[in-house]
Amino acid sequence: MNISIEKRKFSEAVYIVARFAERKSATLPVLGSILILVGDEGIKMRATNLETGIDLKIEGACTAKGAVAIPAAILQQIASSLAGEGKITLDHTGDIVTLTSGTGKSSVRTVPYDDFPSIPFPENPKNRIILPGALLKNLFQTIASCASTSTIRPELASIYLSIEGGVLTAVATDSFRLAEKKVPLSNKGTQGKFLIPAKNALDIAQALPDDEIILSFDEHQCAFVSTIGMIVSRLTNAVYPDYRQIIPKESVVEAVVLRKDFEMALKRTTIFADSFQKVRLSFDPKKNTFSFFARNSDIGESSETLAARITGSPLELSFNHRYLSAALSLTAAESLSLTAAGIGRPLLMKGVGDTSLLYLISPMNQ
Amino acid sequence: MVLMDKRNPKELWEYVLTQVELSISSANFNTWFRNSFIVRIGDDGVLYVGVPSQFFKDWYLKKFHTLLLKIVRDISYEFRNIDYLIVKDERRKAQSREIKNPRGAIELPLDEFYINKSDNLNPRYTFDTFVIGAFNNLAYAASQAVLARPGITYNPLFIYGDTGRGKTHLIQAIGNQFKKQYPGRKVFYLTSEKFTIDYTDSVQAGTANRFKDKYRQFDLLIMDDVQFLSKKQKTEEELFHLFNTLHDTNKQIIFSSDRAPAAIPDIAERLKGRLASGMTIDIGEPDPESRMAIVRKKAALHGIILSDEVIEYVSTTISGSIRELEGMVNNIICHAQVKGAAPDIAEVRQSLRSFTRPQKSISVKNVVDKVASFYGIDEESIYEKTRRREVVRPRQVIMYILREDFNISYPTIGTKLGGRDHTTVIHSCEKIKREVVVDTELAKEIQNIRTLLV
Repeated sequence: MNISIEKRKFSEAVYIVARFAERKSATLPVLGSILILVGDEGIKMRATNLETGIDLKIEGACTAKGAVAIPAAILQQIASSLAGEGKITLDHTGDIVTLTSGTGKSSVRTVPYDDFPSIPFPENPKNRIILPGALLKNLFQTIASCASTSTIRPELASIYLSIEGGVLTAVATDSFRLAEKKVPLSNKGTQGKFLIPAKNALDIAQALPDDEIILSFDEHQCAFVSTIGMIVSRLTNAVYPDYRQIIPKESVVEAVVLRKDFEMALKRTTIFADSFQKVRLSFDPKKNTFSFFARNSDIGESSETLAARITGSPLELSFNHRYLSAALSLTAAESLSLTAAGIGRPLLMKGVGDTSLLYLISPMNQ
Repeated sequence: MVLMDKRNPKELWEYVLTQVELSISSANFNTWFRNSFIVRIGDDGVLYVGVPSQFFKDWYLKKFHTLLLKIVRDISYEFRNIDYLIVKDERRKAQSREIKNPRGAIELPLDEFYINKSDNLNPRYTFDTFVIGAFNNLAYAASQAVLARPGITYNPLFIYGDTGRGKTHLIQAIGNQFKKQYPGRKVFYLTSEKFTIDYTDSVQAGTANRFKDKYRQFDLLIMDDVQFLSKKQKTEEELFHLFNTLHDTNKQIIFSSDRAPAAIPDIAERLKGRLASGMTIDIGEPDPESRMAIVRKKAALHGIILSDEVIEYVSTTISGSIRELEGMVNNIICHAQVKGAAPDIAEVRQSLRSFTRPQKSISVKNVVDKVASFYGIDEESIYEKTRRREVVRPRQVIMYILREDFNISYPTIGTKLGGRDHTTVIHSCEKIKREVVVDTELAKEIQNIRTLLV
């Protein structure tokens, strides 16, 4: 095998693909490698950790065909050290690959690639939608943080995606808060729902191009196909709770505040939060104020009062401040609406004028 | 000679693994075989191996299939083939539940909303949480008889009663118990509305045959709220055929409705007869003792012990369905969770004030207003001495509602509605009262008007 690729393109490709290689060393060594394939279809890089897999096309000149597996960590370090314009050439002889770029030349021992698993691209997926990659990228990156980090309940460590009536709905919850985001689709026919592990979704989001991609899925797999290649992920095979049932239908009090005010006040109050990260919110409809309060017996206490539009009856609720600030990254709306359904009931947060988002936070005991 | 029980999937797989380990590298073994197991051994000699994902399935087929087949064939020629299944995540994970302190935060009650897709049953409804009292004793006994000999003793079992009496709880509990008692058999719960939608969908998609097969495979079919089938002739016919098939093969069928089979309007006679052909049981109004038992049990389920005084107060204050009673108990529990202690009678009285319905008082003019606008007629015409048909009916409805819901005397109604004689009012009220029983359209209209008036 002998190929020559522009340095910048090579680095970008390695950066994307290396993410999909296995990072734990205990498993098969070939899983920690990137497979470079040179054939009739051009140059391709592949990696998989048996959860997700990628097959990426790269532009470059090729003088001899072949295949080689190189440890991802080594390739990553080489790629990050490449500087300036110019090309890098990879030449494979025996069990050594020689990388030449400008003044430098390095030889890397390869990994036998016989054991490199095949990446199961869905051959005949029944369900497919087309959407801009940038949209999906943003969706995954904003919502994945709300999913559970523990794998005890695999469905909660996943993002629930449902496609219905031309709308893609993504939901993630760790059972203390829940985020739901909706995205309109251009093709309305497809229906379906699946669970993708949140960890995989984050890796995939990093690798997705901004232009249009085809998202297809069957019972166990989903695939993201674009002009530059394909990414697959296994799906979580579990039942997702009927989360709509926990969204309170009635409300006791609603507050509308400026995002800017909310963000600053929360930031200042957070300094005084206790070890439980507790911040108390008060709704005062008489004075039309919305206030934050936090007390830490070691530091002291602090309160912030904002002007707000409050409708309903007075109420005080305490929350983990991390869950409150997480809402800010989910919407870009200038004003936020907070609806409470009473003591011990979850708080509903929305961006004013942003119907795509719904964010639910469970309160703490007073 | 291998010493093991080859029909035991666990032992068989352990043996297979020891053999595989000898043939491949340990890195390979650890990567590919750590999370696999035998799901079941088919009667036809096919071995079903569960793997975590498509990656594994493809690789097993490509790399390990011949090896595995050789190993199992060496054990016995009974094993014809190996098939690979991608198994659910829950089955692979250890059953240990994470018990971490949620840092003072209350969890969202997601656990209560997992619905088992294959049978639609809600696991929350079981006999453990079902309160048996004089009012539902018979229904409970019948359901136990059904569970003892499904399909034979009482088939179909038809349970009816007003809303909020625990019909759904009882029939779902039967389903859940049936699942436990007869693990191999199939249960399916659905509402008649779902059945109708499913049927129309399948007709639209041209898969009516698949629809038939889908429902005929169940050993226990539970259909909730059959009264909603009225006037849906094609769906009724489909249910009629389904009923016959299941009944003939001694499969148990359970129905629930808010009225007796004979009283369901606009439903084919032959279906009516069949609904009533097994056991028909009415769940009546819960007696005070049962209500107290229900309150105590619901509170105890949430780990809160209420004093007898509080229980008595709650169960007597609210006249209404068990559902409302449950709502009240939830309210008390919520308060208790916030305060960290079970509330006393004074607190309960305070917190339940919002539940006790306010005395209904409403002006006649308001009722006339709402009804006139509901029927799209001029409200003045109600007071006039006209006998146009489009005015007479609304006027009668107004009289009926004023009498039934607001207990206004006949003479007063007469005077308020343009000086009519009280006998006219009595006649109108009686007339509507009679018609409401037979005319579902009218009943629906009145129902809608009532919601407008609340």
